[in-house]
Amino acid sequence: MSHALALHGVTKRYGNFVAVDRVSLDVAAGSFLTLLGPSGSGKTTILMAIAGFTVPDAGRILLDTKDITALPPEKRDFGMVFQGYALFPHMTVAENVAFPLRVRGMGRAEREDKVRAALDLVQLSALGDRRPQQLSGGQQQRVALARALVFDPALLLLDEPLSALDKKLRAELQEELRALHRRVGRTFVNVTHDQDEALSLSDQVAILNHGKLIQTGEPAALYERPATRFVADFLGKSNFLEATAEGGVLHLGGLDLAQADAPASGPVLLSLRPEKIALLADGETAANVAPGKILSWSYLGAGYSLVVDTPMGPLRASLPSWRAPIAPAEGLAVRLGWAADAAVAVAEDPA
Amino acid sequence: MNGGHGPGGGHGPGPFARGIAWATALYLLLPLSIVLPVSLTDQRFLSLPKHDISWQYYHNLFTSPLWLDAMAQSFWIACAATAIAVICGTLCAIGCWRLARRSTEVIRALMLLPLIIPSIVYAIGLYRYFAWAGLLDTFLGVALAHGVTGIPYVIVTVSTALAAFDPRLEQASRGMGASLRQTLAWVILPRIMPGIVSGGIFAFIHSWDELLIVLFIASRNVYTLPRRIWNGINENLDPTMAAVAVLLIGMTLALLLLDMALRRRREG
Amino acid sequence: MRRDTGWWLLIAPAFLLLTLVYIAPIAQVLAISVMEPSPGLGNYERLFTSESVQRVIVTTLRICIITTAIALLLGYGLAYVIALATERARRWWLLAVLVPLWISVLVRAFAWVTLLRRQGVINEGLIAAGVITEPLALVWNETGIVIGMVHYMVPYAVLPMLAAMREVDPRLLAAARGMGASRGFAFSRVFLPLSMPGVIAAGVLVFIFSLGFYITPALLGGGRTLMVAEWIKLQILDLLRWGLGAMMATVLVLAILATLVVFSRLVNLRRLFGGGA
Ligand SMILES: Nc1ncnc2c1ncn2[C@@H]1O[C@H](COP(=O)(O)OP(=O)(O)OP(=O)(O)O)[C@@H](O)[C@H]1O
Ligand SMILES: [Mg+2]
Repeated sequence: MSHALALHGVTKRYGNFVAVDRVSLDVAAGSFLTLLGPSGSGKTTILMAIAGFTVPDAGRILLDTKDITALPPEKRDFGMVFQGYALFPHMTVAENVAFPLRVRGMGRAEREDKVRAALDLVQLSALGDRRPQQLSGGQQQRVALARALVFDPALLLLDEPLSALDKKLRAELQEELRALHRRVGRTFVNVTHDQDEALSLSDQVAILNHGKLIQTGEPAALYERPATRFVADFLGKSNFLEATAEGGVLHLGGLDLAQADAPASGPVLLSLRPEKIALLADGETAANVAPGKILSWSYLGAGYSLVVDTPMGPLRASLPSWRAPIAPAEGLAVRLGWAADAAVAVAEDPA
Repeated sequence: MNGGHGPGGGHGPGPFARGIAWATALYLLLPLSIVLPVSLTDQRFLSLPKHDISWQYYHNLFTSPLWLDAMAQSFWIACAATAIAVICGTLCAIGCWRLARRSTEVIRALMLLPLIIPSIVYAIGLYRYFAWAGLLDTFLGVALAHGVTGIPYVIVTVSTALAAFDPRLEQASRGMGASLRQTLAWVILPRIMPGIVSGGIFAFIHSWDELLIVLFIASRNVYTLPRRIWNGINENLDPTMAAVAVLLIGMTLALLLLDMALRRRREG
Repeated sequence: MRRDTGWWLLIAPAFLLLTLVYIAPIAQVLAISVMEPSPGLGNYERLFTSESVQRVIVTTLRICIITTAIALLLGYGLAYVIALATERARRWWLLAVLVPLWISVLVRAFAWVTLLRRQGVINEGLIAAGVITEPLALVWNETGIVIGMVHYMVPYAVLPMLAAMREVDPRLLAAARGMGASRGFAFSRVFLPLSMPGVIAAGVLVFIFSLGFYITPALLGGGRTLMVAEWIKLQILDLLRWGLGAMMATVLVLAILATLVVFSRLVNLRRLFGGGA
């Protein structure tokens, strides 16, 4: 049975420094939430408050409808995968996984069954007698997962579970983690500063900056409709157009912009993803057209990244490399175009 | 540690420094080694063997009820004192390590006071205090005094071991539902055991060798080995003393080698 | 905080034991020094009026300073050689320091008595060799005390100095020599200043240990040269002058704490006592 988790106005201060500032969150039962933010944004602190290792200075934490804010960690029944895994070096893999069961006074036979099942779940049945030091990073990570899941915890908390692994292994384990979540059907709360991991793993992503919750939502919704400049910039790449609206028309750099649902007047900040900008062929047209010259370019394998100097300022555009219509070169004159619904209006972040 | 930084980048110490070092090392070790030949003397007084070596003073030592009784008393007192020091010191070091506040820093500094304050000050204070508490000349009194002054050795070695302990292991254990007792028994203590054993060895040697406190708080009932030696040196300088000295040096060496072996295992 | 209670309980036994069995008796000594024979600072006035009190303080300070100076000199040479030794040689050198450190101070004093007394091994040997005709007075005087105390203190001097020296990057010495400095110049301008914190720490340690030292001075001084620790014992056990003895004990503790406070500004004393974390 899985549980829902809710945070209401959780605040944590260290002296005068506010590490977590009135964060409220709802995590549906059985869903996978990722806390995403730059280093020092308060992700670990929030996770530690959920786990019970730190007590918030204000706010409440609810499991379903039960207030668990003041409950000590050992009473919460949460599984946790620590940053760096925290496997006990003086115990074998099987003893590590058996630890939470031993703590609960479970009999030997039942314990062994459960340990075997948990090791099967992470495909490590053959390595039960090894010590953690004798395992590779990916294997250690899986032992940590097995240990966190073996006692059927109400909630699984993961603090940067993949950050210690190399890029390729990380991609593999992302898949596995996703599959595991589907199989066990528990509520997962994950912490990362890797945006790709957040987008590919999660049902819900919560974006944090300076201890504040900036935006929550499904990955696609966050990517397509970022609420602020910070979100648009942190999740993927973005151009920012600082335009002015006058009588329902946007002006920037002497050009008019066609923008769906533009406000009637005042300054407007638009976020425009590079992959939504097309390189127009001769005679081709689009709702928005900006002529310019290539300032710089780089080859990224699957595509090119161009920086084009336009009257609106430099714009970053991406171009698939397979049968590219042009060979990029500095100084080359190009025309950029994008649809009226390609850019989205975002708010400036409060300082 | 980066052990390998060899002889000063190819520039070893000069002859003057070498001379001092060798002279000092000999000064430290030679006087100790003199007790071995003296203990084997065939003379009636403290001197080197003249004609032959003789085991008579070892025979004396191991048949003398006075010396044997003193050794037994010292041994049991040292065991009790070590138990007190190890239990209190280890728990205290763990608590201070985990709480890590300014207040626990102060507590830990207080625990080191017995290393800094001269024994004579403690001994005279204890003399009055134990007279009032009825603990003068009792096994319990001496064990308590030796135990409390042995705590700093344990605090130092256990704190060092804890500094290398990953605090997340403790969190992981609590997070999986382990109580404080279970966490101590299954996670923390097994990891810092070598530090605890080292501290225990030092606390044992401390009690086994301690004289000054005993001189003040013991009289007829408690007669430890150091007290017997003290009286021997002050009264009759009999070569049996040299045999005792050899025995004590041997024991200390054995305990030190044990400690070194444990350290090597921990590091290796 | 409530959830830390368990951890505080771990500290409790040691704290209670220390308070009841260690701090209370010592606090009592401080109290006696102002309460007996009559309340007031009468005992402390003796510091300024009594010649015997002043004599024992001067003797103690003189012996401590001589001991500290010699122990630092010998210890520095030893530590320097250990610091620059190869890994294997270092292990043997260290053993030569650690073994005496842990051998019973009584056994050491006994060994010195065996060697130094009038019919001792040294005098007998020298007489047999015809170097001297009359035995030398090597023990039961200040010379004996200093020989025995330095022997006890050298290991305590070596350890902090060695720790400081091992933090000096040996490439600095090589660099200085490479730039044309002589061995002596490189040592005095590069190594010595960098190892100075260790020398100060060692000096403080040896000095405070020497101040309250009892066994070696009592055995090797033969009752003729009195240092404070033995003097205190004499006042209390033999003369039953509790107030005076407690006063001197208090002065001793204050002198040690003052030394520590003054020098804790210069060097990190935590390292002396293996402050762990
Ligand atoms: N015990 C503490 N005392 C003081 N400040 C702290 C403490 N723990 C965390 N902080 C501060 O709180 C802020 C948030 O820390 P937190 O560990 O939650 O960041 P994070 O988002 O997990 O960062 P990272 O990605 O680097 O792990 C940081 O600025 C950190 O310095
Ligand atoms: Mg973190």
